[in-house]
This record gives sequence, structure tokens and C-alpha cells, in this order.
Amino acid sequence: MLHVSPQSTSAAIAKGEVLLNVENVSLRFGGVKAISDVSFDIRKGEVRAIIGPNGAGKTSMLNCINGFYFPQEGHITYKGVRRQKVRPHEAASSGIARTFQNVALFKGMSTLDNIMTGRLLKMKRGFLWQCLHWGPAQAEEIAHRETVERVIDFLEIQAIRKTPVGRLPYGLQKRVELGRALAAEPELLLLDEPMAGMNLEEKEDMCRFILDVNQQFGTTIALIEHDMGVVMDLSDRVVVLEYGRKIADGTPDVVKADQKVIDAYLGVAH
Amino acid sequence: MAQSATEKLDTFPKLLRRNAAVRGSNTAFRHKDLGIWQSWTWAEVYEIVRAYAVGMKALGLVRGDKVAIVGANRPKLYWSMMAAQVLGAVPVPVYSDAIADELAYVLDHAEVRFAAVQDQEQVDKLLSVSERVPRLKTMLYDWGRGLRDYDHTHLHPIEAVIAQGRARLSEGPDVGAALDAEIDGGTGDDLSIILYTSGTTGRSKGVMLTAGRSIAAATDTVAFDHLSDRDEVLAYLPLAWVGDHYLNFAQGLVAGFCTACPESADTAQADLKEIGPTFYFAPPRVFENLLTRVMIRMEDAGSLKRRMFHHYIAVAKQWGEKILNGQEVPLSARLSYGLGNLLVYAPLKNALGFSKVRTAYTAGEAIGPELFSFYRSLGMNLKQLYGQTEAFLYVTAQPDGQIRADTVGPATPNVEIRIEDGTGEVLYKSPGQFIGYFKDAEKTAETMTPDGFVRTGDAGFFEVGTGHLKIIDRAKDVSKLKSGDLFAPKYIENRLKFYPNIKEVVAFGQGEEFVTVFINIDLTAVGNWAERNNVVYGSYQELAGHPDVYSIITAHVDAVNAQLATEPAMAAAQIRRFLILHKELDADDGELTRTQKVRRGFVGERYAPLVKALYDGSSEADISTEVTFEDGRKGVISARVKVKDATLFPATSTTGKAA
Amino acid sequence: MSAVTSTAPKPMLSPAMMATVKVLGVFGAIALAIVLLVQSGAMPKGSIGHKVLAAPFIDMWDLPDLLVQTLWEGLVAGVLYALIALGFVLIFKASGVFNFAQGIMVVFSALTLVGSYEIMTQRMGLPTGVAVAILALIVAVATMFVLAWLVERIVLRPLVNQNEIIMLMATVGLTYFLIGFGEYVFGGNPKVMITAELGLPTGNTQFNILGGRVNIQHLDVAAAVIASVMIAGLAFFFQYTRIGRALRAVADSHKAALSVGISLNQIWVIVWFTAGIVALVTGIMWGARSDVSFALEIIALKALPVLILGGFTSVPGAIVGGLIIGIGEKMGEGYWGPLLGGGIETWLAYVIALGFLLFRPQGLFGEKIIERI
Repeated sequence: MLHVSPQSTSAAIAKGEVLLNVENVSLRFGGVKAISDVSFDIRKGEVRAIIGPNGAGKTSMLNCINGFYFPQEGHITYKGVRRQKVRPHEAASSGIARTFQNVALFKGMSTLDNIMTGRLLKMKRGFLWQCLHWGPAQAEEIAHRETVERVIDFLEIQAIRKTPVGRLPYGLQKRVELGRALAAEPELLLLDEPMAGMNLEEKEDMCRFILDVNQQFGTTIALIEHDMGVVMDLSDRVVVLEYGRKIADGTPDVVKADQKVIDAYLGVAH
Repeated sequence: MAQSATEKLDTFPKLLRRNAAVRGSNTAFRHKDLGIWQSWTWAEVYEIVRAYAVGMKALGLVRGDKVAIVGANRPKLYWSMMAAQVLGAVPVPVYSDAIADELAYVLDHAEVRFAAVQDQEQVDKLLSVSERVPRLKTMLYDWGRGLRDYDHTHLHPIEAVIAQGRARLSEGPDVGAALDAEIDGGTGDDLSIILYTSGTTGRSKGVMLTAGRSIAAATDTVAFDHLSDRDEVLAYLPLAWVGDHYLNFAQGLVAGFCTACPESADTAQADLKEIGPTFYFAPPRVFENLLTRVMIRMEDAGSLKRRMFHHYIAVAKQWGEKILNGQEVPLSARLSYGLGNLLVYAPLKNALGFSKVRTAYTAGEAIGPELFSFYRSLGMNLKQLYGQTEAFLYVTAQPDGQIRADTVGPATPNVEIRIEDGTGEVLYKSPGQFIGYFKDAEKTAETMTPDGFVRTGDAGFFEVGTGHLKIIDRAKDVSKLKSGDLFAPKYIENRLKFYPNIKEVVAFGQGEEFVTVFINIDLTAVGNWAERNNVVYGSYQELAGHPDVYSIITAHVDAVNAQLATEPAMAAAQIRRFLILHKELDADDGELTRTQKVRRGFVGERYAPLVKALYDGSSEADISTEVTFEDGRKGVISARVKVKDATLFPATSTTGKAA
Repeated sequence: MSAVTSTAPKPMLSPAMMATVKVLGVFGAIALAIVLLVQSGAMPKGSIGHKVLAAPFIDMWDLPDLLVQTLWEGLVAGVLYALIALGFVLIFKASGVFNFAQGIMVVFSALTLVGSYEIMTQRMGLPTGVAVAILALIVAVATMFVLAWLVERIVLRPLVNQNEIIMLMATVGLTYFLIGFGEYVFGGNPKVMITAELGLPTGNTQFNILGGRVNIQHLDVAAAVIASVMIAGLAFFFQYTRIGRALRAVADSHKAALSVGISLNQIWVIVWFTAGIVALVTGIMWGARSDVSFALEIIALKALPVLILGGFTSVPGAIVGGLIIGIGEKMGEGYWGPLLGGGIETWLAYVIALGFLLFRPQGLFGEKIIERI
């Protein structure tokens, strides 16, 4: 009889190196405070979930991390460097890739071209070579294509390689979007509700992909998700936001038992 | 590696060795990986399989062991079969989409000790049933994604097993010599494979096939269809199905042609187009889906394209089959067909991946004559065959030039067929036939007659004059009219169902004076007709009872009767009376199975007053039935249903019953 | 005719071919109707119907050399219209801005070229000739780059995510700034394009064909060739290079483009610079055919009907639209103009576009938006 079982690695992460540190970050839109004084860290190799009720500031938090928003107060330290105003393309070139709550794909392009755009930052050959489409530029293109094909293989989307993504069903679009993020070979992958609007089977597939990405490539993942079952299964640590404030932080078991979290999710009046 | 010319090629490993020696540089396998077609020559495959066998031996695989093969059509899984056979072990391919319970039963029943599987999904599935498969010790996998953190004590990547085998082979000549001895030690009487049939009733049965018989069968059909090492196939049918093992694995090794494996199940259609196989097999369902897709795509096309398409399809319908069969055709028709080929047929076949197909087969169920002739009229040599796992596929097949939609052809070379008196059951004796069910002497005895014939369980008859076999139904479903004439309900039902206006048919007649049928109209097709002819109707019930609809259906029934009259065995079973049901038969009401098959007995009971009316001569009858609506509520539908008489034709052949 | 083969929509050929076939079919039917009308005597010679519907075609048939000449001139004009429209399309696709200033960029770039050549040869005393002309060309290219950079910095960046009409107004402002600035630096007088100095061919060749003479300007041949090469180059650039891919990405979704590390600012500079180069080439070609002055601006407005015809987002549309307008205009002027006392060239393009709008508001190749509901 066989005894083979997947092993958990969460114990090792608890002592791990901090990849990204959020310190006392606050974000305002005019007079509205989206995030107030939130601090937490993301450690190398972990799956970190950010959860909370609607309007808790989860997506705003991701937007701060990848440079869509600039927090008015506080700092974000990434790979040991305290960042000043970071623009999205700078965040991307420092190894942060992300997906969006409502997929943001290039709808007119094929799956292949979409995922290929994930490699744009890695393409180094000069303009002239590219225009000639010859020599080193061509070799480079082939190398990138191979990486992209690995991603396609990994996500099992060979059948839609040439399909314009606008024609794909939502679940597959989300997968293509993940593919584009993976093609950048990120160190930190931000996933904004990767399973929103999916059916059960698609969710299971997506869970498997996220875990495989984390285990196989050692990619650090920060994700926002509403499905509590998914969050508790996938993540090593969870931070809980409510009305822009952090109300809990810890392993899934700890967070699950936290009274403030239970209140927030059951909607107890404060 | 030169072999003596007299060597008997009676096992697959010997054929592999022969192919490596004779056509070593020919491509044996292709597989699309990372978007690019990879290929392996026979010499390379032989080298890999040898190394793989050595690696498996090191893991403890010995002669007689059973090796489960679970997964899609991937070269490494085919090589797993070959490597197991090299060592005299027996591969047992299993349907990869089987539910855990079924999988556990088969693996346990087959006593598998090894399993070669595709990926994590299959590993997980096997692990989940490992308690029930105590003999299974070692698992090999092709694709490692997600398996990195699994305990690898008894789990190995196939790649690593091959690498280990290579290392051992390079240590000295002894290992290779031992392996050659293993290959030479195999004989034609060795068990080559066990294929489990997914039984419609009860547990799956393990069909045991020997190497010698398998190769004999494949040799016959390779000659029959003129296959050679220049042919190419796309392997996309389940590994566990006899069709794949026969058409691709066995014929591939015998003829030495190339087997291409699709990138994934979803890409098979696109891969087909890229590979352009010369030999192709698909069940009627696949051909039907393809046609539907083409038609839908054409409806979306511009009007010019659409008109051109329909015009030339009509031309093909009129002349295509005649041209393919080499009949006399006026020059103008030939020219028109040639232009159609340039503009429509060739691009269409190219789009479907059929450009290079020399021979295509369909089997498994009755194919609609319209569908069949559509593909043939495009100039595609589509033929029918009849067979089963126990026969190692072929019992009959249509030779080139004798192709028809309504027969399955004459017996293939070296096959003997007889029809049992009384039941009409088809029995055969074939070169490839099985030696018995694994660990099931009782079932084996039931199926094999003392004089070595195998029961198919199907009833059929030979067409007078041509010697073509016609399958009418499962033998157990065939009964008799009061007169003692054969009554094959499914045969009659299928005949009617080929008309697009008719969705479902239920035939009655067992022990009765004559045959009657219930008919369900097809709402889409008939509704379409109604729209075109300004026939107003308020409900399904109203449309079903419309006099004009009755006259359309009467014409269909009469046409079927006319056909039946030409078939001696069936002439007595013409439809005398019929009615059109006022509601669609529905699985929610228990009238159909979940797989959309009619539950004849249940329908007969539920509509007893209507059945009575069919036989007592009344011209209409009242019926009220309880129905379940889509939201789960129940209601009662009442209706008065008209009964009509159909035209009967005199039997045109006087030779009497063929059976 | 591979009816069902194309799983993915081919970028331009297939719909273009179908459109062409359809158009030809319609024309064929009309021609047949006219022939029948004339033959049946329903349109006697000299009647209005005959003058409008039959006489021009009879002229075409009788004087094929004139027809070839007209078609050629239409083709050259069409290619140049296509180039101007291309500039619009590029910017519209990448930044969603309808660049009102594209027309003036044509003049401004040409003026920069000629003006700097003048300054270098007359005021700085450099010798006239190819070398200095190329130097002037470099100056013009550099100016277009600086312009693109400044536009991104001063106009686009502060106004990003503003309403489209505000962006349009900004480009209107840019137009007047360029006119004023150009006149201030180079003066308001019309200038002569430095055609020969740039190595462009002058002179013409006459062919005797179809029983008549066809006169072909070498410059026109060069214009057609250069424009074609330029269009092919751009198509290649968009399809195969990293920057091209990034451009298409930005055109599709800003948010997604940002997330894969594309810098919008950088892309905008590139797009405006590319549009500037297209403008410069157009300016040289047009300038060589007439003078370089702000009056040229009027031809830039011809891009509008071209865009209506081709769709605002389609590069092939700009090309085909340009050709239709160019040829339509010359044919109209040559064969039907005399009926209206001539000069219809100035407004015919707009009428063609207007007629087109009635039947196909999204343009010939207007983007079909794939939406899932």
C-alpha cells in the first residue's frame, strides 16, 4: 500500500525572511479614509491572505503595494528597501505581478499574446534588433516564448492558445490573467479575488494552481478572497481588515477563533 | 541488432525491435509539448523502451505482473505498455475518467502491482483508493507538476526510471543481454494486455488478449486497408478502449506507422488539423458534432459564403458519393464537383483535419445515413465496421467500394460469422479473439461456445445478395411478434429517428399481431417547418396534434415501411399504426434514462391507454399524465391523441428469412 | 475561399477581401443597370440622366489613358491621406485622444525641416546640398521627439483620466500654439520644399499606353513607395516588436498594461513621436507637390472623412479609407466635376464620408467590440 502525502511548509515560514513590510500605512481619498494605520508583513514563500468585509480596504491595500495608489502616511518596505512613491511599472520591474478583481486583460489579443505581455519587462534586446527581428532578438523571442509555453502548459490552457481572450468564459479569463502574471516570474504575486465568479470546479482548479505556484516556484503570494473555505485552506497567515483598520493577524486557526473577526463577519454592531 | 529473417514476430516487443532495425529513422511517435511537435524515431523509441524496461525491472517488475496505465494518450504511457510487455508483464489500461470506486475495483481485480499514470490528478485518485488496492506498490508518473512535495519512496517520475535504466545498460553488456533474453523469451501465447470493458450491467470484465492473436488480427486489417509505415494517426481515443489499443498501438507496431499524441484532450481537434492523419477513427457522435459546428459557423458567415457553401454541398450531395464510388457521372457534374472541391470541400476538410485521410472508420452505434453520406460526398473515404473488445475489434468491415450507411459490411478476412437460429444473435470466430475473461470462468463460458465461437450479444442478419451484416439490436431486446417473426424495436426506432423531424420513438409489438410506435416530434425541426409554412400553434401539444404534422410523420413512417419491406428479416415488422405523443418524453418524468435512452417498459405502462388504442383499432384516445415541471412542481397534462394507420408494403424479396 | 478555416479572425485580409468583393458586386449591378437603361433608350444622349450616369463611363471607356492618369493621381493622393489618417489612428488607439493637432503637425514638421535648412544655409553659411538637408532632417526628427516629450509632460500627464472632450480641447490648443510658434520661428511666408536636396527624384516620365499618354511624376512614385514602405514598417513594428506589443497592450487596457510593467508615459512619448515622424514624411511629400505653408493644414482635415470611412481604431481602415477618398476625389473631379462647374474636389470627400456614415457608422473596419454579457 502506498503512503504518499503532500507536506505543509507553513511552520518554516513563520520564522522566514520578510519580503514586504507595510508600516502604519494610511490612504485617503479626499476626506474618506480607505486605509488607516495598517501594518503587517509578507514573508518570503508564504501565502498571505488579506480578508475582510466589503469596503474594508483590501483592494486599496493591494493598489498601494503595486503602486496604483500612493499612501499619504506610512511606508512600504520591499526587499529591505523603503520605497518612496513607486509607480506601477516600477513595482512590476521589481518583481511584483498582480491580477485584478474584474479581470483586466487585453481583450483583442490572443491568450498567447496576453501572456507574452507578461514577458515585456524581461525583453532586453535593443530597439534596432527588434525592428530587424533577427539575430539575438529572435533568439530572445524564442526563449520568452518557451517560458510562456511552460506557463500555458502549467495552467492547462493549450486549447485556447490562439483564442482572443474576449471570447473566453470568465473562469478561463481569470486563468489567463494568472498566466500573464506568472510569465513575469514574479517574486511577489498579488491576487485580487482570484476565484470570484467561478464555479466549484474552476475554484478547485484555481486553488491547485495557486498552491502549485507557491510550492513549485516558491513564489510569495498575497491574495484577497471572499470564500473563507478557500482562504483557510490556502493561506499560511491571514490579515483581517475592517473599515480600513487591521483587526486581526495570524494563522488561519488563530484568526478563525478571534472574537473581533467573528463579529466583523457576523455583522455585530460596534 | 540484426534479426534472422526467420524470427517469428509474435510479440509486440519483437515488432518494436523489428521496426527499430528496419525503419529505425522513421518517426514512430509525435507529441505536442510546449506548443511544439516533438518526435521520436522507432530507433529512439526502442532505446527508450529498453531503458525503461530495465528501470522497471530494477523497481521489481517481473514477468506476469500487471501494470495499470492511467491517463491520456501520451507517448510515455504507450512506452509504459511496451516496456511492461518487454518484461513479460501485462499492461492494464484503465479509463482515466473512471470514478474512484470503479477504478478501485478494476485495479484490485486485475491485481496490479505497478501503475504508470499521467499526472498529479491520477496519482491523487490512486492514492485515494490505495486502501482497496493492497497489491499496488509502485507508481510512476509522466508529468510532475504539483508532485514535488509528495513522498517519493514508492513514487517515481517515468523520466527518472528511464534514466536509471540507461545508466544500468551502460554499465555492461550483461544487462542488455538479459533484456534481449526477456524479449526472445516472449511467445505468441503470452498474455499481451487486459482490457476492461465498461459493462452496461454489473462489474467490468477483464478481456484477456494474447500477443500472437492480437498481431494476427492487426496484420489482417493492415493488409485490408493497405496501411504502411508512411501512414500517420492521431491517438485521441481512451487508452483503455479497444479501439485505441487496436488502431493505434497494435496496427502502429505491425505497420510501423507514426502515432501522434495531442497536446491535451481539448486541443485534439486543432492538433488533428496540424497533423493531418491518413487513417482516422471516430464514433458517429464526433462526426455529428463536427457537422453541427460547421453548420453553425456557416450560419454566422456572410451571405455570399453561405450561399456558396450550401450550393456546393448540394452538388456534393447529388454527385459526390457517385464520384467516390467510381460510378458514371456526367461531365458537367464532374466539373461542378471539381469547382466545389476547390472552393468548399477541400478547405472544409482542411479545417476539420481530414485533408490527408485515406481511410476513416466509424463504429459503435448506428450512424445516420445523411451524416454518413455528408462526409462521403465530400470525398472522404468513411467506412463502417462492427466489432467488440472480445474480438480485438474487427468482426466485419466495409471494403473500399462496398460502402453503405445501413450495413456494417461483410466479415473481415479470416473471420467466420454465424447467426444463431431463433434469437438472431451474431456469433463469430476471429483471429484476434480473446482467450477469456480474467478470473471469470463463468462469464467466459457464457460467452464462448464449445466450438470456439464468441457470442456478441447483438442480433443481426445477413443481407441477401451482398453478404453484408446488418445489426438490428441487442439480442436480449429482440423479441417476436405473435406470428413468430423477429421484432427488433431499436432497429425500427433508429430508422425513424434518422428523420430530423422525429426526436424519439417507442416501438411496441412483443407478442402482438403487429408493430406500433409512439413518436415524439422534434420541436426545433418541426417548429422551424411551422414557421416557414405559417402554421400557427400555441403549444407543443397543439403542434404535435396538427393534421399537417401528422401527414409529414405519416410520410416518414411509410418511407420506413417501404425500406423494411425490402429486408426479408424485417418485412413482417412494418409499422401498422402510430401516434404522435402530446408531450416530450422526459428524464424528469422517468421516461428516459439520464443518458436520454427510452425506458420502453415504463413508457408502455404509463401510457397504457394509448398502447391499448394502438391495438384496438380506435382512431383516438384520451390520456392524462402527471408531469414534473422544471422547478419541481407537478401537474397533470390531459390530451386526446389521434392514432393513424400507416401504409404497409409487400415484402419485395421472396427468399424468406435469412437467419 | 476557405469558408470555415479561419478560427481566429485574420487581421485585415479576409474582411477586406469580402468587403471588396461586395463593393465590386454592387458596382457591377449598378453598371449593368446603367447599360440596360442606355440600351433601352430610357436615357437619351444629352439628358441629365445620361450626363450623370452614362457619359462619364463612356468617356472612361473611350479614353483609357486619361482614366489611368486619373487613377494614378488619386492613388498618390490617397496614400498621402492614408498617412495622415494613420497618425490620428496611432494616437487615438494608444491614448484615446483625438489629436486635432495631427494636421498641423504635418505642416509644423515640414516647416521645421525647410526652415532649419534655410537657417543653416542662409544664416549660418553652410553649403547647400544633401549633407545639410540630412542635417535638417535630423533636426526635424529631433524636434518631433522633443514635441512628443513635451506633449506627454505638459498636456497628457496632468490631464490623464480627464474627459475626452478636455483632451480634445487640449489638442486644439496645441494646434494654435504650433501655428503661432511656427510662424514666430520660421516666418509666415510659404516656403519651397527641399525636394532635390533630400535626394527625392524630380521630373517625370511619359508612357504611351492605351492609345494615349500617361504622365507620371517621379516624385509621386517616390511618395507612393515611401508611404507604402512606411506603412509596412509600422505594421511590422506593431506586430513583432516589444514596443509594438506594448503599444497594442496600452491600446487595449491601461490598467492591465500598467500591471505588466509598461510605462504609459514612455508609450505615449513613443506614440506621439511615431505620429510626428508620420507627419514629417507626409509633410515632405505634400510640401514637394505644393508649397510648405499653414495652408497645407486644409489637407490635414481631409483625414476626417478618411477616418470616418476607415474607423478611428483601424490601421488597415486608414489605408483603405485613404485610397477610397483619394481615388474617389480625383475621379469625381475629373468626370463629374464639369457638370457642377468644377472644384468639387474640395468637398467631395466629405460627401462620400457622409454617405458612408448613413450605411456603416462604425466605418469599414471599425472595431467590432467583443463583449460578453
